[in-house]
Amino acid sequence: MDMFLAFLTVITQPQLLLLVGLGTFAGVYIGAIPGLSVTMAVSILISFTFSWEVYPALALMVGIYMGGVYGGSRTAILLNIPGAPSAIATAMDGYPMAQRGEAGTAIGVSTVMSFIGGFIGIGVLALAAPFVSDFALTFQPRDYMLLAILGILLVGSLSSGSLVKGIFAGALGIAIGAVGRDPLTFTERFTFDLQIMEGGISFIAVMIGMFGVSEALLQLHHVDKTAVKQKISRIVPSLGTVKKHLPLSMQTSTIGVIIGALPGTGGDIAALMAYDHAKRVTKNPSRPFGDGAIEGLVAPETANNAAVGGAFIPMMTLGIPGDAVTAIMIGALFIHGLNPGPMLMVDNPNMFWFIVGALVMANFFILLFGLTGIKIFTKIVEMPRSVLIPLILLLSIVGAFAVNNSVTDVYWMLGFGVFGYFMRHYGYPLGPVILGVILSRLLDDNWRRAIISEREDLGRFFSGIFSSPLSTVLLLAVIFIFVSQTPLWRIAKTRLFGRTGSN
Amino acid sequence: MDPDYRGDADHHDGTSDATPGGYTKERRPGELGFAVIMALASLYLLWSAYGISGFDALSAPGAVPMATTAAMVISALVILVKTARRPKVTTETLSRDILPVKVIVFVVFLAAFGALLIPLGFLPTAALFLIASVKLLSDRGWGFAIGVSLFTLLIIWIVFRIVFTVLMPAGIVPEAEILQFFRNLTSGGAA
Repeated sequence: MDMFLAFLTVITQPQLLLLVGLGTFAGVYIGAIPGLSVTMAVSILISFTFSWEVYPALALMVGIYMGGVYGGSRTAILLNIPGAPSAIATAMDGYPMAQRGEAGTAIGVSTVMSFIGGFIGIGVLALAAPFVSDFALTFQPRDYMLLAILGILLVGSLSSGSLVKGIFAGALGIAIGAVGRDPLTFTERFTFDLQIMEGGISFIAVMIGMFGVSEALLQLHHVDKTAVKQKISRIVPSLGTVKKHLPLSMQTSTIGVIIGALPGTGGDIAALMAYDHAKRVTKNPSRPFGDGAIEGLVAPETANNAAVGGAFIPMMTLGIPGDAVTAIMIGALFIHGLNPGPMLMVDNPNMFWFIVGALVMANFFILLFGLTGIKIFTKIVEMPRSVLIPLILLLSIVGAFAVNNSVTDVYWMLGFGVFGYFMRHYGYPLGPVILGVILSRLLDDNWRRAIISEREDLGRFFSGIFSSPLSTVLLLAVIFIFVSQTPLWRIAKTRLFGRTGSN
Repeated sequence: MDPDYRGDADHHDGTSDATPGGYTKERRPGELGFAVIMALASLYLLWSAYGISGFDALSAPGAVPMATTAAMVISALVILVKTARRPKVTTETLSRDILPVKVIVFVVFLAAFGALLIPLGFLPTAALFLIASVKLLSDRGWGFAIGVSLFTLLIIWIVFRIVFTVLMPAGIVPEAEILQFFRNLTSGGAA
């Protein structure tokens, strides 16, 4: 009964409900504006809400988080600029749809699918938090490391270009992430004795450069063309469309929750894995993937919102952040005198159920704000490119500057923008670079933890992997993805199954 | 027709990450040069990674950087060999399809933006940037360029400075004083 009352707190207190609504609304637009990240917004909010009670502060942050994950999909669809890393996969099919003049359908489908995915995530959070905490406790450093490699390889295999270029891009990303002083030994890495390199390269600058600036520079080729006219007559998708993709959305939501629940891996990897899954299981997509397939929109959008619920699981049960935003929320809980971790669930179960309630309401607000107000938003796309391109560039500069208030980040952004421009021209995928930068630290730390615990012995390291079912499965998955992309796999498949057609 | 070939008429319009702009069977102008630069840069980075801690220990700070740069070198060399074997696209030129003057001009604009941001301040720099680029890209008159730019800038300034309180360098514009003036005006009116 107490539990149920705590769950309803957010509805019984109107000002809390209002804050969740306000947060979700702001989140949708913050997520949608390139260069303004949810992570940034939530970290700024901590300083705003410092003097608040803990419930209102959490209500606002939960709203922004949920709204932001959804909002990132809008610019991904309309401008091919993912507003958030979790929307990278959404751009792959969402933008081609917008180019065909189906922006309304794309946004409608992504809204409803985010709603469905969000609910599944919250449901799993509510039901399975204790069980998942037990499972996650058994994770070894080597498992985190394998997960990171798996993530990067997956993005590499996602891009329709060559896997070699994907591997190159992923490795480059890890190297970029390693720039600066090593956090464990304080050794300088890739700093070339330059002082500005010591602090490392801002991930936001790399991302804005590669996805904002390089896209804008590429659009300069087409400035004379008329702007993409968006017909957004129908936004609410038909029941038939939703029903048709319900089975897929259930599968991808499940992927989203699981990936979101793994510490460190959030909506971005969940969305990419779900996209990959959809690509594999969908026999007859509405259109080829990468060309505007609705399935390619359903998968990442359900998964990244399901991952929100998932990301709260390790945060609430272990005190380990599921992603960057939950990491900041852990900081917020500390500020308010709470100690996130296994004891929080025991000492303060009401807090957990309040968060679940706030997430549920935020999810309803997404549906409300997502299916209204799109017409104003799509006006951005109907702007002439001669105005839109300078605007994107200006927003990119503001975004890159605002992270650390430094002009250096603006130059990094510009440098990576030009580099990304060439990469796009020559068929190098950009996704693996971004993922490599995000996962670089995780990969490095866990490799070192793992190998130190095995006394620097590679033999012991591998026998350790094969003695644990989890590590074995992860390693096999890494090997499988690698092999499945090489000619070797095709030869083996033909040998084993005979002629399998043109594939 | 090869599905990966995006043709010349509308090549790479809004290329998404899933559909990189390269061709699978041909090499674009400058692609070989890019591949050579990538291979050389990877080699340099590998050497630099070796310099971090050498073959000290498997857990040394240089271990993962060495492994990743080694992966870069190997993949860059494979790409280089593959690229060199392909025939060149005959319908494209470097100055028209890869690096037209417009793109170079905009890179210079952005670099100038960074250089002027601190001494001149955000508002004048952004105004100059917007006016110059809108004028350059549209074939409309100065009135259109200046009007659209200043209006856009006003909205951006309101959203970032007032709603999100992102502080951009003030430079020569006394932003804080102007804001204070309006605050005094509204509070004066209320009193």
